[in-house]
Amino acid sequence: MMGQLKPHRTLIQLRDESWKRLVESEKAMERSFQEGRLLVTLAAGLLLVGFLLVAQWRGNASLSTDVARQSDQSLGMIIQQLTAENAGLRSEVLRLQTRILDAEREGIDRSEVLNEAAKELNSLRIMAGLESGMGTGITIVIDDPERVLLPQDFVALVHELRAGGAEAIAVNGRRVSATSGFSGSDGRVVLDGAELSRSYKVVALGDPHGLEQSLTLPGGLVSTLSTFPGVGIEIQQGEGLRVAEAQTPVFNHGQPVEE
Amino acid sequence: MLVLLLALALGVTLGLLTNISVPADMLTYLGVSVLAAIDACLGGVKASLEHTFDDKVFVSGFLTNTLMAAFIVFVGDRIGVRELYLAAVVAFGLRVFDNLGTVRQLLFARWGWE
Repeated sequence: MMGQLKPHRTLIQLRDESWKRLVESEKAMERSFQEGRLLVTLAAGLLLVGFLLVAQWRGNASLSTDVARQSDQSLGMIIQQLTAENAGLRSEVLRLQTRILDAEREGIDRSEVLNEAAKELNSLRIMAGLESGMGTGITIVIDDPERVLLPQDFVALVHELRAGGAEAIAVNGRRVSATSGFSGSDGRVVLDGAELSRSYKVVALGDPHGLEQSLTLPGGLVSTLSTFPGVGIEIQQGEGLRVAEAQTPVFNHGQPVEE
Repeated sequence: MLVLLLALALGVTLGLLTNISVPADMLTYLGVSVLAAIDACLGGVKASLEHTFDDKVFVSGFLTNTLMAAFIVFVGDRIGVRELYLAAVVAFGLRVFDNLGTVRQLLFARWGWE
């Protein structure tokens, strides 16, 4: 009986033992699995932190160098400084201008006054078209093989040139004076009674850069005229350009009023 | 522990390689969020040393803390209390140092340096 019981008990012990070891090994497995998950999640979190840190670092570095992103206070201070500087410069300019005026008043004598008057008269004569003029300016060559340009376009061109600071203007060698007028119909353009040939050449005296700019502004006259079929416009800055004098105006109906 | 440091270094390297930069308007938001993320990670390290780590707790804490931090800054911006982000900075800053202290002590205990 005992002989039969003993091995049975040993078997039970063995079974319990291996059961215990099985549970332990499963627990260990579970633990290492947990450990792995722990490491993976923590590592992922830290990876994200590192990544964000660098991004933040970069953003902050670019912030401090960007004037447009200064804080309200520092922008206010910059504005204040600039305003003070500006006011100082303004008063400086004013002071210097007064000194220039004083110096001019002291230095002017009779001959200089006469000289000035002669010079002024000369420029007025050029302005009025009584004298031929020479100097820097621009030449505008307009090609219009299909005769689509109207007299109005030339009026606009002359206006644009005058607004751009032109001192003297000539179209195909004819001076445009204060009494000049463009007319014409059916593709003909007439300036002061003379028909202009189809290839137009406009010469304007003045600051070449300013004149060219006044014509070539985006949406300006040149870009408008260039959209007409066949019209080609070429602008050249030049020196030593000549503008002929206009015909002396004849006044039949009006005369100066003596005060 | 080495794995964690490597992960941090990898994150920094990734950031450097991708040449990422936060737009200026988002700087405060992300700044506070980064602080919250650092806090969450330190909390995770602490929990793992105390053998109480739970990945669900960690992930949810990480996400809610970072999002809430950014949200607090946002709310502060909207209601005209821009300094509200300071509250988040102080709170997370305190927690970061707190966790850091605990982690240090736990590591000392583990390495037998007491």
